[in-house]
Amino acid sequence: MRRRTFLFGALAGSTGCRYDRRPRLNVFNWSAYVAPSTIPNFEREFGVRVRYATYESNEEMLAKVITGNSGWDIVFPTHNRVPPMAAMGLLSPLDHRRLTNLGNLEPAFRAPAWDPELRWGVPYMWYGTGIAFNRSVMPAPRAWADLWSGRLAGRLTMLDDPEDVLGACLKKLGLPFESTDAGELGRARREAIEQKRLVRAYLNAEVRDQLVAGDVLVAQMWSTTAAQAIYDAPSLDFVFPAEGFPLYADNAVILRESRRQELAHEFVNYLLRPRVSADIVMATRTATANAAGKALLPEAIRTNPALYPPEELMRRGEWPGTLPAAAQRLRDRIWTEIKAA
Amino acid sequence: MKRGLGFYAAGVYGFLHLPLAILVAFSFNTSRFTVWEGLSLRWYQAVFTDPEMMEAAWNSVVIAVVATVISTAAGTLAAYGLWKRGSRWISGSLYLSLVTPEIVTGISLLAFFQWAFRWLNWQLGLHTVILAHVSFSMAYVAIVVSARLRTLDPALEEAAMDLGATEWRAFRRVTLPALMPGIVAAALLALTISFDDYVITSLVAGVDSQTLPMVIYAMARRGANPSINAISAIIVVVFGALIIVSQRMRDA
Amino acid sequence: MRGWFLLPARLWLWLLFLAPLAIVGGYSLLTRGTYGGVELPWTFENYQRTLDPLYGAILLRSVVIAAIATALCLVLAFPLALFIARANERKNLYLNLVILPFWTSFLVRTYAWLFLLRDTGLVNTVLLRLGITSAPLPLLYNDGAVVLGLVYGFLPFMVLPLYATIERMDPALLEAAADLGARPWRTFFRVVVPLARPGIWAGVVLVFIPCLGAYLTPDLLGGGKSVMIGNLVQNQFTTARDWPFGAAISLGLMLIATGALGIVYWRGPKEIL
Repeated sequence: MRRRTFLFGALAGSTGCRYDRRPRLNVFNWSAYVAPSTIPNFEREFGVRVRYATYESNEEMLAKVITGNSGWDIVFPTHNRVPPMAAMGLLSPLDHRRLTNLGNLEPAFRAPAWDPELRWGVPYMWYGTGIAFNRSVMPAPRAWADLWSGRLAGRLTMLDDPEDVLGACLKKLGLPFESTDAGELGRARREAIEQKRLVRAYLNAEVRDQLVAGDVLVAQMWSTTAAQAIYDAPSLDFVFPAEGFPLYADNAVILRESRRQELAHEFVNYLLRPRVSADIVMATRTATANAAGKALLPEAIRTNPALYPPEELMRRGEWPGTLPAAAQRLRDRIWTEIKAA
Repeated sequence: MKRGLGFYAAGVYGFLHLPLAILVAFSFNTSRFTVWEGLSLRWYQAVFTDPEMMEAAWNSVVIAVVATVISTAAGTLAAYGLWKRGSRWISGSLYLSLVTPEIVTGISLLAFFQWAFRWLNWQLGLHTVILAHVSFSMAYVAIVVSARLRTLDPALEEAAMDLGATEWRAFRRVTLPALMPGIVAAALLALTISFDDYVITSLVAGVDSQTLPMVIYAMARRGANPSINAISAIIVVVFGALIIVSQRMRDA
Repeated sequence: MRGWFLLPARLWLWLLFLAPLAIVGGYSLLTRGTYGGVELPWTFENYQRTLDPLYGAILLRSVVIAAIATALCLVLAFPLALFIARANERKNLYLNLVILPFWTSFLVRTYAWLFLLRDTGLVNTVLLRLGITSAPLPLLYNDGAVVLGLVYGFLPFMVLPLYATIERMDPALLEAAADLGARPWRTFFRVVVPLARPGIWAGVVLVFIPCLGAYLTPDLLGGGKSVMIGNLVQNQFTTARDWPFGAAISLGLMLIATGALGIVYWRGPKEIL
């Protein structure tokens, strides 16, 4: 009996034991957003240990972070989540003196609409929402409206994201993406519920493997996830719908609760290095906001239409802003209704 | 009728065990698709060389062991206390805890921790997971031990006390040894439940406390992956062995 | 001295059971923060919302799915429990064979069905190879798959209480019925089933309530489309960012669980604890 107690006690004690005395940094990022070498290289160069975990949606990240003591140091919210996070006091203002590589950013991202002084976050990767499909089994869809076709029953997925799904419905109806009007949103809701019987599931990037495997034929998808899937399965293709589409940028932010502000700044600065940025894109097929990094990329990737759409196409895209609180709540409620229908 | 029942039982056992058997079988498949291509241990290799999975496995073990120790001790004492004295509140709450859906337990504990953290300056982590596991294991331990207690004769303890033993001594020397098989069974049950839990753990886990079910779930959501087959096979074998060993010990 | 034994349990009761539930109760009466969390003012609005027919539909669906799964479990488990109770030497072995799947991870067992039923899973691959079908059948991501997963996961929970009750049955009663001329089926329905009622109630409660609040099974096998109450609650705490509403639904669920437990207490065995 005594020996057993001792053993258990020792095991319990070991949970608090840190044999690793290096400083730690906790980074919470979207899945498939770094190269295999990115984190180990940083650990080696700075003599630290990085705990790196991934999430699949802003809400998943926000749910952990919103309490103010989640334990994470750096997270990557989408651009229209940054102002509310800052307003809630979750973010730590960036010290530009430590971010020496800030000049590497694309001109378009140096003073973005959501954070003109880059006070809260550094743009990391950007993308748009469109339609990924299996070219060998079906003709290319052209518009959001094509996702309501009965032929797709059970082989279609939509994103598990209220903004994207409602946005697609609004665009299909010819209404603005950021509509806050209750009537317009009501119509969009009806569309979404009508489409629901065709939808196999609401999935984010996790549907990538199923697209590649052929379980799913058509998916509302972010352009970077689509590019990754196409890389694995060339029979896939991606298109930005004719009616219009949203553009997003994920930003690296430092949480106010972080007790390692300096190290966090080092990491963000590290991500801004051209070589690091280029390596990430090569490994993950994402679109970086880093101009110097983009310049190091091979031609094929730099001109990939899914990742870097041509200028005329970009004009049909819009960058959704932060909605006022009441409109946000209305949309959230509608999303619950759609999911529950 | 007996023959028919026998066939039926075989059918149900097949239903229960076949999916697991298939799962294990395909963990040895070379190909990652469901066409059999050959024997291979590559998925097992993938499992053991995956640092995230190994760390999660370690976390699961630590959490399960610590939570089991605490909940078995507390649950045994509770069952004993209820046997001797009875308390409608406690037994009623234990019942309720048993049938409360996991999601409700999970969010209530999450809400409690977040509220408590305003004063405690803690974060979510291994300790919160362990506390949560103790919370839902208590009822299981109490039930198993109670069942065993009911087979005991209270007269034995009274005799010991008549002979001069204190209450605690009587408990330790007379009741506890007789209770051992029940306690071991309860501990095993608590261990399994704790190791297996996903819903509650995912809600109260922190940065450092990824557990094996959380890793498996994340992989499963991204689609079928033979590594999951491999780790599942390992879990099945390990726990299967655990029961067989415990049964042997009990029969011995 | 006696009270000392119950001290850990009391600690558990207040800190890890009642306090969390109280906080959830508090949350259910507050208003949601726009991006999560709760804020004043106090309101009953969340409970009013639970009465909305939209959520009534989800509750109904959850009840139906849970009921079907429970009924299937009962029908499948009863003969098996009979079989085990009648086996004389190998009783332990048969019991262990039932318990063994239960000891392995619930997640693993649910994943096993994911592996079997996917479009590129074993069942479809076999059917396609044998030429029985020409396109993969959508076996996954529907209510049927969810029921299957639930039955598979909870069958042992139904077998064990049934077995416990049947085993304690006096064989003399069955013989008496036979002597009085009753045929096997009649004996079964008129004697065995009524006598097994405590076990049936225990099994039904142990299966129905967790099925009602199931989260993992509808999530993995239902594709996030077959929304049951458990998923709805989880949803409120993440995507929908409406903690108070989620809290209100949770308490409603607890109410149902307590009610069901109350019924069993009143009608069934008086002593499990």
